[in-house]
Amino acid sequence: MTRQANAIDFWRGLALISIFINHIPGIYYSRFTHTNYSLSDSADLFVFLAGWALRYVVGPSGRQQAAWYLALRLGGRALTLYAAQIMITMIAIAMLAGAAIWRDNPLLLEWHNAAAVFHDPVPTHIGLALITHQLGYFDILPLYVVLMMMAPGFALIDRFAPGLVLPVSLLIYGVTLGFQIAVPTWPVEGEWFFNPLAWQLIFVLGFVLARQDGAGGFVRRHIVAIRLASIPIVAAALFVVLYDWWPDPTTVPQPRLFFLLSKTYVTPARVLQFLALIALFSATYPTIRRFAPWLVNFMSMLGRNSLYVFCVGSILSLSGQIIRFVYQGNIYSDTAVVVCGIAIMALTAWLPEWREDIRASSRS
Amino acid sequence: MARRHQSKFALIGCAIVLGLMAGSAPGFAQGTAAPPAPPPAATTAPMPAPFSQDCQIGNAAIVEASPLPHVAAALQTRKQIRILAIGAASLGPRRTGPGGHTDAIRQILQKAITGLDVVMINRGVSGELSAQAAVRIKNEVALTEPDLVLWQVGTNDALAYVPIEEFETTVIDTLHWLKHHKIDVVLVGLQYVDRMAQDQHYAKVREALRKIAAEENVMIVRRYEAQRLLIQAEGSGGGLVPDEFQRTEVGYACLAQYMARAITLGIFGQRLRVIPIIPPPAPQPR
Repeated sequence: MTRQANAIDFWRGLALISIFINHIPGIYYSRFTHTNYSLSDSADLFVFLAGWALRYVVGPSGRQQAAWYLALRLGGRALTLYAAQIMITMIAIAMLAGAAIWRDNPLLLEWHNAAAVFHDPVPTHIGLALITHQLGYFDILPLYVVLMMMAPGFALIDRFAPGLVLPVSLLIYGVTLGFQIAVPTWPVEGEWFFNPLAWQLIFVLGFVLARQDGAGGFVRRHIVAIRLASIPIVAAALFVVLYDWWPDPTTVPQPRLFFLLSKTYVTPARVLQFLALIALFSATYPTIRRFAPWLVNFMSMLGRNSLYVFCVGSILSLSGQIIRFVYQGNIYSDTAVVVCGIAIMALTAWLPEWREDIRASSRS
Repeated sequence: MARRHQSKFALIGCAIVLGLMAGSAPGFAQGTAAPPAPPPAATTAPMPAPFSQDCQIGNAAIVEASPLPHVAAALQTRKQIRILAIGAASLGPRRTGPGGHTDAIRQILQKAITGLDVVMINRGVSGELSAQAAVRIKNEVALTEPDLVLWQVGTNDALAYVPIEEFETTVIDTLHWLKHHKIDVVLVGLQYVDRMAQDQHYAKVREALRKIAAEENVMIVRRYEAQRLLIQAEGSGGGLVPDEFQRTEVGYACLAQYMARAITLGIFGQRLRVIPIIPPPAPQPR
């Protein structure tokens, strides 16, 4: 039986659609996603909700699983995510190769960090397997894999010393930013676009705030005041984005990463704005559910099947890029890409639920 | 597979006329807005970074002046230059050496300039448009404090059909910002493939970049021209594989050499000794 539509699945569905669109650079419809009006974007929301979902896996304090079982379960989840990453990467490589042959255009072999795969395959395949080589726009799942590998640690701290989860996370984050600790890529020299040592904070914030007591309980008790405080933060961020009001990065004090706007290191201003944004916009869910239940059901369906939808969405984004390239990126092709893409993502979400329904009805 | 074509590529490589068209670009050799630092003192006249036989094109790349004054000043005061590489990441180590083609630049420069310490900071992000790179450049400059930015720009914007005006504004604003912060720039232009030669938008982006480089007195490595000449030299044959693989490998190896050459020319300008031209070997029957 599929679970009822809820706010978490709804927002996750929205994040998935937004990621799909934003991963097609230059597409007309990307101007309507919140990335253009916010310091944070859908990646923050996706990772935060992954942390929130971890709370459900861990369970409430009264009904917790054995530690070894929990660690095994989360490790299994990390393995599933890893398998998904390998699969979509291989499909993406095949798509680029196919498009290059179809269009007789070798430039496509060099798109999105694929050059090393085709021209230097021996070490690069090792890098792909180790997820130290990531294609452009296929770099969120590697982050998610690492976060899920860290999850048993956070879950166990949460069990035995719940008050320490956030301080430990903040410590890792602070050290990472303070010393500019990057996670290197290999064999092509560079660094991970999403630094897991920094992004774990967003994940842990989701995990901590999903708790009914502690920090989560505090937020629930003071949500009205927090929302009021969030308004100027979100408004100020809007001005920063629209009018480039942030100070010159070379003039901010050391350690500079604490004062810059960086997606790789999900810097403090971005974290603060993200928290303000979710505090504010979470208030809109009841209204949306009341006036557009079909939208809530649709988004929740995507959100319930987020891994499938994310994988298919990633492939669709690359397809969209190839289509834009072939048809020279006009409004008609962009519209077709977005409409067909969302329809296929919906089909991807619907299929497993349909199969589950069939199975349930045959049992009863 | 690649090795099979080695001899053929010796021919092709010799016919490459490098992407660095510095010497021939109008306005290229003019001084930048910042007052040029005097060329660094050296016991013997420095030589420009050499080309391998594959990439050899004689002295066409030599420029008359020093368009990289801040790099020259860093060399003079610290004997170290810090180079920030921004743009699409490239190949792994097999053809271009450990660390890829940016590390190859470091090695070539250190061989060409005695006692020089080159710190390469590789911050390429694949698929990134110039608008996204522009934001990241500012952060990376603040974090890494480079003397020079190597910016591979234009190909992704061209493939994503980013409007030309938007592309121009982004690149010009970023160049102004870098100039204001006393950081030199070497732009690396679009790649060449036969199929894109007829694409109007691709041509417009390439032309826009060339125009910006000329107007802003910024050095540009004309990768497109280099690769085109390589392919023209090869003749009409060949599909996508396997020749294309070897083309790309040679292309990246040469690109590293062109960038290194551009930097030495930018630092030393007229004080460079002219490297004797090695004539390319006569073409062999195919």
